[in-house]
Amino acid sequence: MLATLVETKEMTETVVASIVAGIGITVIFSIAIWGAARFIDLSRSERPVAAGAAAVVTALALAGTIGSVALGIIVMTSK
Amino acid sequence: MSADVILVIVVGTALAFDFTNGFHDTANVVATSISTGAARPRVAIAFASILNFVGAFISITVAATVANDVVDAAVVTPTVVFAGLIGAITWNLITWYFGLPSSSSHALIGGVVGSAVAAAGLDAVLAGGLVGKVLVPAVVAPILAFLVAGVSIGVIYRIVGKQRPGVVTRGYRYGQIVSGGMLALAHGSNDAQKTMGIITLALIANGTLGAGSDPPTWVIVSSATAIALGTYSGGWRIIKTTGTRIIKMDAAQGFSAQGAGAAVILASTHFGFPLSTTHVINGGVMGAGAAKRVSAVRWGVAGNIVFAWLLTLPAAAAIGGITYGVTRVFGTGALGPVVVSILALTLVAFAFFKRSQQGAPVPAS
Repeated sequence: MLATLVETKEMTETVVASIVAGIGITVIFSIAIWGAARFIDLSRSERPVAAGAAAVVTALALAGTIGSVALGIIVMTSK
Repeated sequence: MSADVILVIVVGTALAFDFTNGFHDTANVVATSISTGAARPRVAIAFASILNFVGAFISITVAATVANDVVDAAVVTPTVVFAGLIGAITWNLITWYFGLPSSSSHALIGGVVGSAVAAAGLDAVLAGGLVGKVLVPAVVAPILAFLVAGVSIGVIYRIVGKQRPGVVTRGYRYGQIVSGGMLALAHGSNDAQKTMGIITLALIANGTLGAGSDPPTWVIVSSATAIALGTYSGGWRIIKTTGTRIIKMDAAQGFSAQGAGAAVILASTHFGFPLSTTHVINGGVMGAGAAKRVSAVRWGVAGNIVFAWLLTLPAAAAIGGITYGVTRVFGTGALGPVVVSILALTLVAFAFFKRSQQGAPVPAS
């Protein structure tokens, strides 16, 4: 009885979307912060190549974060 | 003429409900950002108000659910909608008076269901919509927010746990500007749409709109404005009591709690599930707290939320049903809603007077 009333497909998609968006964006943003922290440490220890790589990681992760948020808003407004 | 008077009362009451919803929920939306120092109170509240307004425009799926999937619009009259709104407002007032953390959304749906049952019997309730789109998401969403926030904070500590705390804290404070903004956007999108749905239901019941219609633009704009003004007004009260009402957490926890809450609410809004944003946000906060230290969570508050959740739908439904009965004592015209409106305003004034004599209500969350 309950199974016929529950909108299983929409509910499952809500759960999956929440997990992917909630945890996914957290992971990408955390990588950006990790990169920024490493960049500062490596710059102080005068390792420019490694610091540059950390800066690139930060930039890419920040771009990924912004892109993910923008994608989420586009998906929200598309229905 | 009589029907138009009732419709005007319903629209006014619905917008007042929307205002109080924003007023009541300001703390939930901005508390985390203020608590972690990510934003100053004035900035956080102004930002949340603007994004509440914008959020109301990004979707109408929840409004469609409230208007078409909970009760049978064919047997609903504007008086039924009015009685439902009074049921919700009265229950909100009672829970505010006693400091119970209840959901305005559940009160609204419970009130309308109760008045519809009183007017047309159990056949007026669309069981599939009520269970599938309201009750099940009401249980799943806060648990989901709890789990997503808990896993998120675990991942955060794994990735940045060995880095300099200063850099990490500053980073997540900046992140909270985005996650707090998304949470305010999500709140506006889900909560403002409930008012849109209720006004649309009244317009359909009055014959102004056809069955299955979407909310007209003026309904969307007025609902967005009411919730944004409510959020802004509620904020000034919160500023004064920030230190005592907000759960202390670090910036990373705040980021994961807000991110989880925003993700769950926005995903649910996309599929037209009218949630209790209060419960989802609290679920996220508790998840972020429990993942770090179980004892950090105020489990007593969690218990109060569950208690209020169980009570809200039936209590608001009962008040909505009784209110409908009272309005019918005065016939089917506008006299009943007018008399009940005066009684409700008197009750509101009395409750505020009594509360002002006893001091501030017990913090809800």
